[in-house]
Amino acid sequence: MKLAILSESPADEAAIAVLVEAVIGHKFTRVQSSLRARGWPSVAQVLPSIIRHLHFNTDADGLIVVVDSDDSVVHTAPHEAPEYYHPMCRMCQLRAIFRQTMKKLPPAHGRDRILRGVGVAVPAVEAWYLCGLEDSVTEANWIAGQTAAQPPYTRRQLKGRAYGTERPNLYQETEIAVREARRHARDTRRLEYDFPGFASLASELRAWPKVS
Amino acid sequence: MIASVAFRNFKALRSTGLALSPFNLVIGPNGSGKTSLIQAVLQLHNLARLPLRQSGAETERRPEGAEITFRFSPPYDGLEASLGCVSDTMCDLLQVIPLSTGEGVDDWAGLRARLLTVRNYMFEHTAIAAPSSDRDYAELTLNGGNLATVLSARRIHHPEEFARLAAELFRMMPEYDEIEFVELPGRLIDLKLRLADTAEWVVAENLSQGTLYVLALLTLVFDPAPPAIICIEELDRGVHPRMLREMRDLLYRLSYPKETGSQKPPVQVIVTTHSPYLLDLFRDHPEEVVITEKHGAAARFTRLDQCADLTNVLSSGSLGDLWFSGVIGGVPEEK
Repeated sequence: MKLAILSESPADEAAIAVLVEAVIGHKFTRVQSSLRARGWPSVAQVLPSIIRHLHFNTDADGLIVVVDSDDSVVHTAPHEAPEYYHPMCRMCQLRAIFRQTMKKLPPAHGRDRILRGVGVAVPAVEAWYLCGLEDSVTEANWIAGQTAAQPPYTRRQLKGRAYGTERPNLYQETEIAVREARRHARDTRRLEYDFPGFASLASELRAWPKVS
Repeated sequence: MIASVAFRNFKALRSTGLALSPFNLVIGPNGSGKTSLIQAVLQLHNLARLPLRQSGAETERRPEGAEITFRFSPPYDGLEASLGCVSDTMCDLLQVIPLSTGEGVDDWAGLRARLLTVRNYMFEHTAIAAPSSDRDYAELTLNGGNLATVLSARRIHHPEEFARLAAELFRMMPEYDEIEFVELPGRLIDLKLRLADTAEWVVAENLSQGTLYVLALLTLVFDPAPPAIICIEELDRGVHPRMLREMRDLLYRLSYPKETGSQKPPVQVIVTTHSPYLLDLFRDHPEEVVITEKHGAAARFTRLDQCADLTNVLSSGSLGDLWFSGVIGGVPEEK
């Protein structure tokens, strides 16, 4: 299987690759290494071009996109209703960009479209790395904090807790991101339960048709 | 080291000041005071070399003359340094004033020793690439022109620090796997890097600008005796946007050594940039970003974390885009 990953840093990319392999149950080949976005809204801006590029210029089977939610509206069950679209939800926005971009594309490289895998880390990918280590770090707690206008933690605090410093260098960040992703890779159920933004990604990956 | 600096009539800095952090990224339009801030620190460094003089002695001063006042962090927060100037650009008087509170009231000698180590850099790739005199090895010069000699000497006198530098270089630029020095006629030293794939050597003059700037920065970061303050102008010059994260991380090693397990004393870092990509990297640390603005002939400083409604502002876009848009200030005036 040939996949591309769009993320915000090489550390995220390395960890996401580990998680994706755990979910699909086998290794994959990286088609276009080092796709990168400068955070939101840059991801949304570059995504159509990346989809078109992968579709026409590569033989990629799928594209995986993982972004941080930051302080945006978190994707919840009501957003999954048919035709529902929340304009402030990054999951809804990314899925819509995929839909709108791909419906205009003719078949290429023997496939109708590239497969989609979208994940949103709430509020940041460091929360995924802390999942199972700190019980208070969950998507539900974050949403409860948002509702009460008292966020349970900040992005900066999550960094400090995940990496042991608020200013990790890329090497430290990658090492810890991959270590925690490997911990989850042994059994992704806790991460899926505590972080529906990851469960959505896992669900999409599992729904992909088998590609040789 | 320097906790705050206040300006009166110094160049475009008519009446402004700012608190300094261990790390400071200074952004703003041309002519808005970024370099003036660094020049002020250098004036303090230069005047600290001289014996202290009394105010009014020898030099006639204008009442409206420029004045720059520095406060320091512990263990020197009991002292204030005031620079008096004969013009709006030239300071020639340093007064050290004991404050009613704080440490180090009697330790001007200790503070002075730290101030004498202040260094400023404006790297030039052509200077870095040129062979340098084998006698010029003490410390890296302003434009990085003696890089080969400094590194060559470091390999001899501080082999462990040199090995760490080389390892970091090869991690950041995996296309290289060895660094070597060449003695040339006229007591000159040149440096070269070996390509990992082909084992071919690339001499300094054929290395890319970015590679030379990274080498210069690594030389500062792996200095066995780092200075108290380092100022670097245009940190982003010649460097690919994706490499800026590594550049920032390197400088963080200086400012926050404990966070990378180093026992070295912290170095206060002041860097200027015009790169929105570099600014993007400070989303989680707005207190480290200084914005300079110019209104008419007067410039002033603000810190990004003082920006009104910062959380909401940051939710709408990347910091670099917000800077370009003008939302956070630090853009040229348009008439």
